[in-house]
Amino acid sequence: MAEQEADLTKKYDALIIGSGAAGGMAAHVLTTHGLQVLLLEAGKKLDIEKELRSMQWPYDNAHRGALPPDSHSLSFNEYTIRRPPYGPGFEKSKNLYSYIGNSDYTKNIVVNERENPYTGTNYAWVRARCLGGKTNIWGRLALRLSDYDFKAKDRDGYGENWPISYSDIAPYYDKVDLYLGITGVKENLPYLPDSIFQRPTKLNCAEVTLQQGLKKMGRVLTQYRAGVTTDGLKHNKYRSRCYGRGACERKGGCDIHAAFDSPTGLIYPAMDTGNLTLRTNSTVREITVDPTTGKASGVHFTDSQTMKDYTVRGKVVIVAASTLESARLLLLSKSRLYPNGLANSSGHVGHNFCEHVMGPGVAGQAKDLVGKPSTLDDGRPGGFYLARFRNLAQQHPNFIRGYGFEGGSGSSMFPPGTDRPGFGASFKEEIRQNQGSYIGMGAFGEVLARYENYVDLDPVVKDKWGIPALRFHYKFGENEHNMVKDMKETAQEMVEAAGFKIIYVNDRVLTEGWSIHELGTARMGNDPKTSVLNQFQQSHDVKNLFVVDGSAFVNASCQNPTWTIMALCWRSCDYLADQLAKNEL
Amino acid sequence: MSTNDPVDLKQDRRQWLKTSATFLGAAVLPLSGAIAETSPAESQTVQSVHGASQAVAAEGTSSARFFTPAQHAMIEELSETIIPADSHSGGAKAAKVADFIEQRIRESVDDQQKALWREGLRLMESMSQHYNGKSLVDSSAEEKIAVLKVLSDNAQMTELPEVRFFHELKSLTVRGYYTSKIGIHDDLEYKGNRILMEFVGCDDPTPPTT
Repeated sequence: MAEQEADLTKKYDALIIGSGAAGGMAAHVLTTHGLQVLLLEAGKKLDIEKELRSMQWPYDNAHRGALPPDSHSLSFNEYTIRRPPYGPGFEKSKNLYSYIGNSDYTKNIVVNERENPYTGTNYAWVRARCLGGKTNIWGRLALRLSDYDFKAKDRDGYGENWPISYSDIAPYYDKVDLYLGITGVKENLPYLPDSIFQRPTKLNCAEVTLQQGLKKMGRVLTQYRAGVTTDGLKHNKYRSRCYGRGACERKGGCDIHAAFDSPTGLIYPAMDTGNLTLRTNSTVREITVDPTTGKASGVHFTDSQTMKDYTVRGKVVIVAASTLESARLLLLSKSRLYPNGLANSSGHVGHNFCEHVMGPGVAGQAKDLVGKPSTLDDGRPGGFYLARFRNLAQQHPNFIRGYGFEGGSGSSMFPPGTDRPGFGASFKEEIRQNQGSYIGMGAFGEVLARYENYVDLDPVVKDKWGIPALRFHYKFGENEHNMVKDMKETAQEMVEAAGFKIIYVNDRVLTEGWSIHELGTARMGNDPKTSVLNQFQQSHDVKNLFVVDGSAFVNASCQNPTWTIMALCWRSCDYLADQLAKNEL
Repeated sequence: MSTNDPVDLKQDRRQWLKTSATFLGAAVLPLSGAIAETSPAESQTVQSVHGASQAVAAEGTSSARFFTPAQHAMIEELSETIIPADSHSGGAKAAKVADFIEQRIRESVDDQQKALWREGLRLMESMSQHYNGKSLVDSSAEEKIAVLKVLSDNAQMTELPEVRFFHELKSLTVRGYYTSKIGIHDDLEYKGNRILMEFVGCDDPTPPTT
C-alpha cells in the first residue's frame, strides 16, 4: 500500500484517534464509504514481522526468548505490593514494561511504563502504543455477546440495559466474521451466539474427555473461537491462512497474520482505497472545539518523537484510543463550553469502568496419558472455551452475571510442571513422562459496571509529553469476590467429575486490569443524563464526535470484547457515513 | 554419608562453615543471609575474574566472562546434577546450560543476584568439603547428589543463601535446558513449530516430523 504524507492544512472528513481494533475498523468502514480519513496513532510503526518471529526457536534467540536482563517487566507480586506509578524502585532496569512485555517478542510492542505513568489504585494497565495497538498481541478469543448481556438488567435488575439488542448488532457480527475470519464450531447457544465460522481447530484427547464429562452436567466446552483465518481470505493480500505452526501459546502475535491484527486486517486494505492517510507518532492531547457551534473542530497533537505541536481539522472526530485513553482524552479536552471535559455533561466519562476478573482456575492430569510419547497439541491458535453456565435459567444466591473458562491440554515447547520439588534423574524423567498429560483452565468473569469505579486526571503527575496522567479509583466488589469463590469450586468440580486427578486449584485473584479487557468509561444509553453516547456511539452532547472503542460498553459481559468492539464500530460508522452524507453532523 | 539420612541443615551448616573457614583460611564467614563486604574468597573471586578477563581480552573477545574457569566447571557439574544425561537424552552439560547461566548472570543488572552466585558457589564448595571431604568437581555423581539433596530437602529455608542459590541454580538450569536443542528435540521430542496443512486432533496420527 502507498503511504501518503499527512496534509495538515486540509480538512478531513474524519479524524480517527487510535489504530487498534476500533480505529482500524473505523478506517476500513469510512474509507469504503469514500470518506477522506486521517488516522492518528500515538506510537510508531514497527517492523512487526521482525518483532514477532513466530517460528524462532528459543535457542536461536539471544536470550532464549526472554527479556534482555537490562529490562524488567512487572510481576504479579510487584503489581500487588507497589503502588502506581510503577517507576521508582526499578532504577536498574533500562526499560520497565507491563507484565505482557516479559518476552523478547512483545517488549517493543508495549509501552515503557516510565514514559507513561498512571496513579491511584493498583491496576495492571497494559498499553501498546504502536500501529495496531494491542491487536498485535491479543489472545484472539473472539466471542459474541447476546441479549443475556445487552438486556442483563431485564434479567437481574442490576445496572442498565444496552440501547441495542442482539438483533441490531448480529448483521455486523456477520460482517466482521466474513471480513476478518474466525474459527470455531457451532453450538446453538442463545447466550453465546455462533459466528460464521471457518475450518475449526481440533480438540486433543484430554480436552475431548473434559468435553464429554461436562456434557453430562449440561455444560458446553467448544473449540477455541479464535479471530484467526483458517481457510484464508481471498479479499486480503496481507494475511495468510493459519498453518498451525504452534508458537501461538507464546505471548506474541502471528507473523503471517492468520490471527487478526488491525494493520493487515483493516488499515493496509483501507490505505489501498486511496482514502486513508496515516500519521504515526502523533500523540493527541486535546480534541478542539468550535466555540460558536459547540462542535468538535479537530485535534491538537504532539509529534511523539520531535515533540512539535500540530493541529488538524476534521468534519467528524472519532475517538478510538482504547477504553481508558479515550476517557482520558475526553477529560483532557476541557474548554469554556465544556468545563468537565468533552461529551461529559452527564459526568459519566471515566465512570462505570468495568472489565473481567481473572485468576481462579485448576490444573488436572489424565493418568492414562502419563508416559505416552509427546503429541502435537500446540499447532493451533487455542485450546478450548467453556461457555458460561451460571445465572442462565436459575439465579445463583451469591452473585449475578456469569463467567467462562479458557483452557487447554497437551504437549508444549516448554514443559509444564518444572516447579516440582527435587532434582536429578527422577526429576528429569517425571517432566518428560508427564509433559502431555495436564489439562488446565482459567476463568474470566464479569466485573459489574459501577459508577464508583472510575478514572480521572491526576492533578500532578504527567507523562513524557507533559499530558496529565490517568488516576485510578477502581476495586473489585463483593459480587466479584463471591463469583471468584464459585469459579474455583466449579473448576475443581468439573475437572474432577471428568475423571482427572487435580494437580492444583488456584484461588488467587489477579490484579485488577490483568484481563486487558477494560471497558465502559463512556457508556452508551438512551438517557443523556446517565450515559455519554447514544446507540451509534455518538456523543449526546457533541454530534460530530464518536467514541467507537470498548469505552462504549454498558457492561462487560463475561465474553471477550474485541469482536463486539469491531461489530459495534462498523454499525456506528455506517450510521456516521449516512449522517455525514445527509449533512446531519 | 547416606543420602537417605535426614539432615538438620541449620545444625550442620555451623560445622561446615567452620570447616570451610579453616579450609579457606578465614576467621569468620557470614552465618546469615547477609553477604560480607569482602571475604577472602570473594577477593579471590575478584582476582580470578580479573585474571579471566585479561585472558579473554588476550584472546581478542570483547565480553569478559563473569565466572572463573573453576566456577564455570562447578556450574557445569551442578547443572548436570540437576538435569543429568540418561539413556534417553543428554543432560545439562551437553546442552551447555553453564554457558546460558554465564550469559544470564554476566548481563544481569541485579547485583544481589550476582553476589548470590559467587556466594552460592563458595558455599557449595564448603559443603562438598564438609560432606564428601573433597572438592565438588572431584566428587562422584552420588557425592554431588548428596550435597544438593541437603538443600533440596530444606528448600523452604530460603533465609539461607545456599538454599536461595539452590533455587536459582535449579530455575536457570531448567530454563536453559528446556530451551536448548537437546532439551526440546532430544529429551521432550517436541513435535510442533512447523507448518501443518491440517490441525491435529485426538484421533489423528501425529504427522511425521519434518
